Amino acid sequence: MSLAHATAAPAIPMRLRTRHATPVAATAALLLAPSLFFLFAFTYWPIVNVAIRALTEQRFGEPTPHWGSGNFARLFDDPHFAVAACNSAVYALGTILPAIALALAFALALRESSRLASLLRTVVVLPLLIPLVAAASLFVFIFLPGGGLLDHYLAYLGYGATNWLGDPSLALGAIIAITVWKNTGYYMLFFLAGLAGIPEEYHEAARIDGARGLTRFRRITLPLLGPTLAFVGVIALLNALTQIDHVVTMTQGGPSDSTNMLLYYIYQQAEQNSDPGLASAATVLSVGVLLALSAVSLRALEHGLHYES
Amino acid sequence: MKSGRALALLAAAAAALLWAIPFVWMLLAAFRPNVTGSEDLASLVPTGPFGLANFAEAWTSGHFPLWYLNTILLCAGILAVQCVTVSLAGYAFARLRFPLRETVFTLFLLQILLPPVVLVVPNLTMITQLGLYDSLLGIAAPYCASAFGVFLMRQTFRAIPRDFEDAALTDGATRLQTIRHVLLPLARPGLVAFAIVSVTSHWNEFLWPLMATSSPQRQVLTVGLASFTSGAESGGEWGVIAAGTALVAAPLVVAFVLFQRRFVSSLVFTGLK
Amino acid sequence: MSLKRLFAAGALTVSLGFAHAAQAATDIDFFFPVPVQGKLSNEMQRIVEQFNTAHPEIHVTAVYTGTYDDTNLKTRAGVQAGHPPALTLMSANFIREYAINNDAIPLDDIIVKHGMKPADFLGLFWPALRDNATENGHVYGAPFQNSTPILYYNEAAFKEVGLDPDHPPATWQEWVDAAKKLTKRDGNNVTRYGVEMVTTYDTLGWLVSGYTMSNGGQYFNTAYGGEVYYNDPTTIGAVQFLDDLVHKHKVMPEGVTDANAVANAFFTGRAAMIVNSTGALSFVRDNMKQPFRVAFIPRAMRNAVPIGGASLIIPRGNSPERQEAAWTLIQYLISPEIAGGWSRFTGYFAPRVAAYDLPAMRDFLAKNPDAKVAIDQIAFARPWFATFNTVAVRKALEDQVQAVLSGRIHAPEAMANAQKAADQILRPYVERTALDMPE
Repeated sequence: MSLAHATAAPAIPMRLRTRHATPVAATAALLLAPSLFFLFAFTYWPIVNVAIRALTEQRFGEPTPHWGSGNFARLFDDPHFAVAACNSAVYALGTILPAIALALAFALALRESSRLASLLRTVVVLPLLIPLVAAASLFVFIFLPGGGLLDHYLAYLGYGATNWLGDPSLALGAIIAITVWKNTGYYMLFFLAGLAGIPEEYHEAARIDGARGLTRFRRITLPLLGPTLAFVGVIALLNALTQIDHVVTMTQGGPSDSTNMLLYYIYQQAEQNSDPGLASAATVLSVGVLLALSAVSLRALEHGLHYES
Repeated sequence: MKSGRALALLAAAAAALLWAIPFVWMLLAAFRPNVTGSEDLASLVPTGPFGLANFAEAWTSGHFPLWYLNTILLCAGILAVQCVTVSLAGYAFARLRFPLRETVFTLFLLQILLPPVVLVVPNLTMITQLGLYDSLLGIAAPYCASAFGVFLMRQTFRAIPRDFEDAALTDGATRLQTIRHVLLPLARPGLVAFAIVSVTSHWNEFLWPLMATSSPQRQVLTVGLASFTSGAESGGEWGVIAAGTALVAAPLVVAFVLFQRRFVSSLVFTGLK
Repeated sequence: MSLKRLFAAGALTVSLGFAHAAQAATDIDFFFPVPVQGKLSNEMQRIVEQFNTAHPEIHVTAVYTGTYDDTNLKTRAGVQAGHPPALTLMSANFIREYAINNDAIPLDDIIVKHGMKPADFLGLFWPALRDNATENGHVYGAPFQNSTPILYYNEAAFKEVGLDPDHPPATWQEWVDAAKKLTKRDGNNVTRYGVEMVTTYDTLGWLVSGYTMSNGGQYFNTAYGGEVYYNDPTTIGAVQFLDDLVHKHKVMPEGVTDANAVANAFFTGRAAMIVNSTGALSFVRDNMKQPFRVAFIPRAMRNAVPIGGASLIIPRGNSPERQEAAWTLIQYLISPEIAGGWSRFTGYFAPRVAAYDLPAMRDFLAKNPDAKVAIDQIAFARPWFATFNTVAVRKALEDQVQAVLSGRIHAPEAMANAQKAADQILRPYVERTALDMPE
């Protein structure tokens, strides 16, 4: 077997069997085995496991666990959970919409290939490359009441010190701001590629027809960006539900639960309150939400992951 | 038209300036010793003596060499295993027709929506039962099968003409040999793209490594930084915090600036963090 | 017994003793938290190195494990995973929980084995600390570092508004009066607050327990981990006091302020008085450029402050050798010399009474009168809040107080909510203990 043979264009178009003539299914099974092993060990079996754990109850001092839906009952009774679910929804909307809008705006403004545009694009994308906890440690200072960066410069405009992270009505907004800052550049990259995929002729034709900028945007650009938008939307939603590093290090769910979110609630029950039943029930619910999303978003994922080809 | 473009660019520049502020402050505070407690701590206008004292103190009070080592080992290890699993699986989906192929593929795709961090509670139990709690292997384990890696390799392999492998197979090569010697070299751009995305995302992981380990010897950069800043923060040694943050953020940022185009095309090409 | 036999027995014992010493060093790990990394963490490492040199048969690896809460999580995780640390410096108010859950071993046996009675062992420490170190009559912890909240105040600011720095506020009324004078406004903005305190999780609960006790209350059942007294007038009054500071007298900022913000405010002159732990004293001393002093926390009905700090516990799951080695380390750490030295270095007060008889300590106190304040306040110190599932029960109160501080709810309603939430969390424990009736 030589590579010379391999690189020459052969004349036989048909599929050939290997000399071992192993059934295709067995070969496939072998090739998929490593991945499937990890997939089952760390995704699918855990789902079954956590569902079982969620339906197992064992209160303090009881010698043996027993079946029951008590954990779910406690979950829905827990005001912290309700607040966390609500906050997650607000956080999702608050991060997805502005980040996508800003990313699109940046992409539209910076899609030329000049050095300036390239530099600006780099600046906007940089936050993507640092860990969220690093961003958190910087923003703790930025949001410091009185002496921090934001208040320092707002003081020039006459505003007094604001307790961004300590005021229950502001804290979630501060957390949202950090996420938007971090992710906008990442989404911008997708929009840039999406925009590049729209042939110039479409714009030219519309321009000749007399369509103005905004109309062209609405009628041509936006619809053609459809798959990209859907794809970025799914990614943004996934991020909104799973990126909570800043909550863990900055606010710990507070003040007064105002930054408590689904995943943080799970973390709290598991780590701090040592309540695996409650943590499992909450996990089951979160997985359910994510799987429900999957029905809608798998299409978008396949489209979006495709668009380059 | 031109003025519209110029206006847009100007607006974008202003916004980009806002975006840069945290980094600017980080660099300024990190390079100014004795900045803690001073009046112009928040100033973005560089004044005063510059020096490396903050970095020195961050370096000695943190465990950066250990954190770097752990992070590099972790990311390299994950990548190595992933390359094997995703290449094999990607090939299977790209070239082989077998029963239930679409169903199995959907099972893979679903994993994209269920990152290990969501399943942290059962995954912790799993790695504890496997005896992997508080080890780098334990952190790495849930990432070894990468659904989007499989998807990516499937796309990549599909884009390679069948001729090459058919020729190799005719010559009597096994499938494994074909994959290794013929397809992988041709699929290198896809693999590189995947590698960049994989390393970037695992370098920045926090919550799962936090929960999967407990002893400081197993800390990775993110976990180390969090403990570092929480310690220094109870009074707010901002200069040192900024320096420590810079040390954690630097590697990927520098790599990005140097290999910008590769990074960008990879991130877009693969489509996930 | 013949002389020969005696001699043989003696020789056997001696040789066994030598053999024991010739074994490999026992390796143990020691988890410790400190409030400010860097200086304090390095000092602890140095102390441990000293111990390793003096005790070649033991090798201690000292591991800095973050905050009190983090150290708790890591120790518990270690216990549950089957490889616990040999020794942990555990926040004093978590010890009850470790005892209840059987995650730490009682030290009585090992104390007796080394020739002391448990009661005498406790007698080595200040009385206020003993409660948090015991559970159900057994000793679980050896106090190592302790603190109380104290009032830090800016001397220059006092003089500026005509207050006498030698007579800081001693009652709540004087406190409010002083704070009002010290608060500076520029139009609608406040440029300097009269008082600020740390109101994030853990510290808030600690401070509120102190204010409640100063207001005549008990806050929690010190003898039993299943009862808290949030919805009593003494607690409601304390929370009302905080509410008034923010919303009525307007001398304290609204919302939650963390340690960063409070320290920063004090250093930059944006807060004239702050309430913080004595454990931060050396840090403040290093970074505060203007002259400052410290004082007792002002009293309502009586002087009362909670103790804070940490004690050494031995988690469950360690072999007898590791336990012995850990005990040797405990003895070393709580010796008057080491305990005193640590206290001088950090600002914590030394729990070991004898540490204050040493000349080094007497000299230090003469030169640093601010360090003496915490010690003088020990006379009024009371146990730290500790119950079943302490963190969740504590948060039940803290969430409500944070809402009060943010102007969302009033004190009476907040405390009713807090009591209800706390009772629900304590229910499983209560049903198994106080409400568990004989068949």
